[in-house]
Amino acid sequence: MAVIETERLTKSYGQARGIEDVTFAVGAGEVFGFLGPNGAGKTTTIRTLLDLLHPTRGSARLFGLDSHRDSVAIRARLGNLPGDFGYGKDTTGREAIALLARLRGVSGRGRTESLAERFRADLDRPLGQLSRGNRQKVGLILAVFHEPELLILDEPTGGLDPLMQEEFLALVLEERQRGAAVFFSSHELDEVERVCDRVGIVRDGRLIAVERIAELRGNARRKVVVELDDPAGLPALGEIPGAADLELSGARASLSFAGELHPLLAALAGRRVLDLEVTRPTLEELFLTYYRGDAGGDAA
Amino acid sequence: MSQIGALTVAHLSSRRRSLLSWGLPLGLMSGFVVAIYPSIEAALSKAVQSYPSGLKEAFGIGQLSSVEQYLQAEMLSLIVPLSVGYLAVRAVASGLSGAAEEGRLDVLLSAPLARWRLVAAGFAATAVELAAVLALAAVLTMLGSVIGGAGLSAGRAAAGFAEVWPLALLFAGLGVIASGFSLRTAVVTGSVAGVLVAMYVIDLIGKLDPSVSGVRYASVFKYYGKAIDNGIDPLAFVGITAVATALAALGALLFERRDLPA
Repeated sequence: MAVIETERLTKSYGQARGIEDVTFAVGAGEVFGFLGPNGAGKTTTIRTLLDLLHPTRGSARLFGLDSHRDSVAIRARLGNLPGDFGYGKDTTGREAIALLARLRGVSGRGRTESLAERFRADLDRPLGQLSRGNRQKVGLILAVFHEPELLILDEPTGGLDPLMQEEFLALVLEERQRGAAVFFSSHELDEVERVCDRVGIVRDGRLIAVERIAELRGNARRKVVVELDDPAGLPALGEIPGAADLELSGARASLSFAGELHPLLAALAGRRVLDLEVTRPTLEELFLTYYRGDAGGDAA
Repeated sequence: MSQIGALTVAHLSSRRRSLLSWGLPLGLMSGFVVAIYPSIEAALSKAVQSYPSGLKEAFGIGQLSSVEQYLQAEMLSLIVPLSVGYLAVRAVASGLSGAAEEGRLDVLLSAPLARWRLVAAGFAATAVELAAVLALAAVLTMLGSVIGGAGLSAGRAAAGFAEVWPLALLFAGLGVIASGFSLRTAVVTGSVAGVLVAMYVIDLIGKLDPSVSGVRYASVFKYYGKAIDNGIDPLAFVGITAVATALAALGALLFERRDLPA
């Protein structure tokens, strides 16, 4: 059973766009990245999953339960880190955790102390006196201290220093090993690439792609640059199935190539290849490709 | 401890300064008013005799022949009910719209907590906070009486301050309803404070002009202002408290149904 399952989930704010027909599923033990720039609809999707926003149409089910009707039962099983974590200027992290523990019916404070030590979080100073990054650490502890089955994190590394970002990514992987599902939105492509099993790309409120990181890269067009001793054979490269965007410059040709490389290598066989460079696009380039509208279609 | 209990305690803890910032000045002011009464009593009686009868009726001045009447006229007819009414709106708004603005609402509603419990806890904490502020003000008033030798009746003073509680709670209930429509603290407190002042003015107009006295039924102040003389009217006390609770329940329903945007 999917931990999160949405079906044509739509939220509109009157005339303003929110999200439209968002359909995806996240399984247990999966880390799912939700990518898009600010305003694309990531936070709206998350808030709808959490029942902070009510869907205009479509549905969201978490643990097989309806996100609105069964929201209290759902929230007992998840942890959430809001995008810009805040709680109250005068409250300390320890007080906030104590209250959340009572609300969750958790005896003790779970792994609070070990997490605080790991993230070097100051739980005894009022949150209003902490920097954004240090507040974010407290928010992270609040989200995970009770070992939830599902973690929903909205741009979780904002404000964290590089060392703590590394620690956070390690924690995400540990949560996955524990069997928890992790849904996190981000516009930091590097962190998504490192920890996510699959990624959804959201653009203008619509989910335009859901793919495994590996497939996303595998299906992407690679950039090929080849240099031969005799340029006469180069124009024929553009006619190979999968080749496109051929540009010639003397004895060098550059082109983009999709699919297996075998046809290209077969075409080059018997020729004297002086140089051959095949580059996979970075996730960032892929993302920009989707964002320029060069790729698209409905999400899987 | 139940979820509502835990939230109420947390809410009260976050509002602990209001006991001093509201209860202390109101109490000191009332205490001062009572303490100076013996020294101005004679001059006051003469001055009051020259006041128009409508003015005396409107502001509950009466004869000002006792320290209780003086306390009613100076503090309990205007300053205390309006101040504590406004405090009620601020207190309840801090648990809802204020919590939303600080991001606290998102964190709390990540827990398995029904929204109505959050509202109930905010309303309960406000009720306790108001009672504590009024109690402190009453105690300091009695202290002023002892220092000044004014001879204020503790029972009548307590009734006068206690009568403010359901009145203020009604505006807390209206604050919950306002939070069902807006999560901006300025909008919630501004709109309900406007209703508070409007009700006071409506009641005042009804008192000043007997031909329009019917408008007083539109104001909760019609049922306020006599406890220091006649003791608490149980029907009015319970009735206003019940209406305040019903308003909070309606507000909780609105809050349950509304979106909570980022």
